[in-house]
Amino acid sequence: MRRESDLGGALAGGEISLAGGALRSGADGGAMLVGGRCHACDTRTFPAYAVCPRCMGEDVGEEAMPRRGVVYAATTVHVGPQRWPKPFVVGYVDLANGVRLFAHLRGDPPIGAEVELDHDVVGRDPDGTPVTSFVFRAVAA
Amino acid sequence: MSTRGVSVVGVGMIPFGKYPERSLADLAWPAVKAALADAGAAPKEIDAAYCGAAFAGMLAGQRILGRIGLTGIPVVNVENACSSSAAALREAVLAVRSGESDVALVIGVEKLSKFGGGTIPLEEEDWEVRQGLLMPALYAMRAQRYMHEHGLTREQLAAVAVKNRKHGALNPDAQMRKPVTLDEVLASRPVAEPFTLLQCCPAGDGAAAVVLCASTLARRFRRDPITVAASHLASGKFVPGFRDMTTPEITVRCVKEAYEEAGLGPQDLDVVELHDAFTIAELIYYDAFGLCERGTAGEYLASGATTFGGEVVVNPSGGLLAKGHPVGATGAAQVVEIVRQLRGEAGERQVDGAKVGLTHATGGGIAGFDHGACAIHVLTR
Repeated sequence: MRRESDLGGALAGGEISLAGGALRSGADGGAMLVGGRCHACDTRTFPAYAVCPRCMGEDVGEEAMPRRGVVYAATTVHVGPQRWPKPFVVGYVDLANGVRLFAHLRGDPPIGAEVELDHDVVGRDPDGTPVTSFVFRAVAA
Repeated sequence: MSTRGVSVVGVGMIPFGKYPERSLADLAWPAVKAALADAGAAPKEIDAAYCGAAFAGMLAGQRILGRIGLTGIPVVNVENACSSSAAALREAVLAVRSGESDVALVIGVEKLSKFGGGTIPLEEEDWEVRQGLLMPALYAMRAQRYMHEHGLTREQLAAVAVKNRKHGALNPDAQMRKPVTLDEVLASRPVAEPFTLLQCCPAGDGAAAVVLCASTLARRFRRDPITVAASHLASGKFVPGFRDMTTPEITVRCVKEAYEEAGLGPQDLDVVELHDAFTIAELIYYDAFGLCERGTAGEYLASGATTFGGEVVVNPSGGLLAKGHPVGATGAAQVVEIVRQLRGEAGERQVDGAKVGLTHATGGGIAGFDHGACAIHVLTR
């Protein structure tokens, strides 16, 4: 299983993935996020960690995260490191399994909007290398 | 555990601003000398030093004290993000209370100009920081959520900056000394919506210092010592799932414990220096401190309750928004302001008859925490 320290290396395709092993292809070819679940206390996390942040248990397995979630809060950002194209939209997305994750958003979804997982270019390094990660996209009403 | 009372007998700071040509040590030693002079303390009377800074590198306290020959005593360097020097102060209070130290020095210092501007650099190992989280974005999401839940308007939010810039205009130590109008705040360039530039604390450099001693020794130094009625530090709780971003759990917990330690409540406060890194923060902390009913902070500010002549003057120094926020220096600088207010030395921005003051420094943007650290001090005369 991938650990956090594995994330962010340059991939063969000439891109930098910020999601690393947490972002995979599902059976249908669509994007899928894999987090962790503690087998002792059932705590779910994203990303997965080698140890449970609630009970210290190290019997932590992988768990696919729901692909859809609801925007808890979001903002359009106009500042920050050169890597991020300005403006960019980020937010917290609440998943039905109790996990909240931070992600770049697409389609400017408001608080309460349903969003769906996707994979996209989220930035560009100064040498032009695309930076990719998981994103959540507004679901057409 | 038998403990003894602790008093503040000396404070000093340099005006916050941009000093790119000065080293960290050269930023801080004038604040230390000012605090010693304010206490009437000889360097040899200081028996321990605690230095708070977030981006200072190794041995900041020794680098500073080496400039002025105040060396050889125990020195502890404290990093706790925006609470660094407030946490350092708490360590000094514990040392004096326990009898380990009789007269202790606290330094807060930061030199943000070395980064050349922009948002403060966060820890790259952090998962959310890697994905693009920045401090303005984190606070902006709190603001969006508070507006969504409580109907706070953009104008009510911007009014925090107008108030604190009005206060800062009266403070010779403030980085931003020009008052601004609501229209100017709203028309300044966008940073992270709903924040415009004037709703974000400026990056800058600064230093502040505090001399503490056992209360039994205080009148050796000054006839108007200020009592440390509570000194409290809390850490955030890691929550992998949902959390209410409009309720700063760490501050709610820390202030409750600080009130208990001091034996008083929000109705007793005359003056408060709180952590207004962005406009929404001040409003969320009105709620968290129990100054107003939850969700009504915008109306509470508009009523005039938190400016001069109101029931509790919040951030008379101008706060982080106007005085500035050289991260590690903030906690000590808040104590400098409250001590000056309680002594009646605050000049044009004096809060009439102030007897009870509170300082609040909290911060740290890391995944899973609302904040990493929060330190609260209650000071009385």
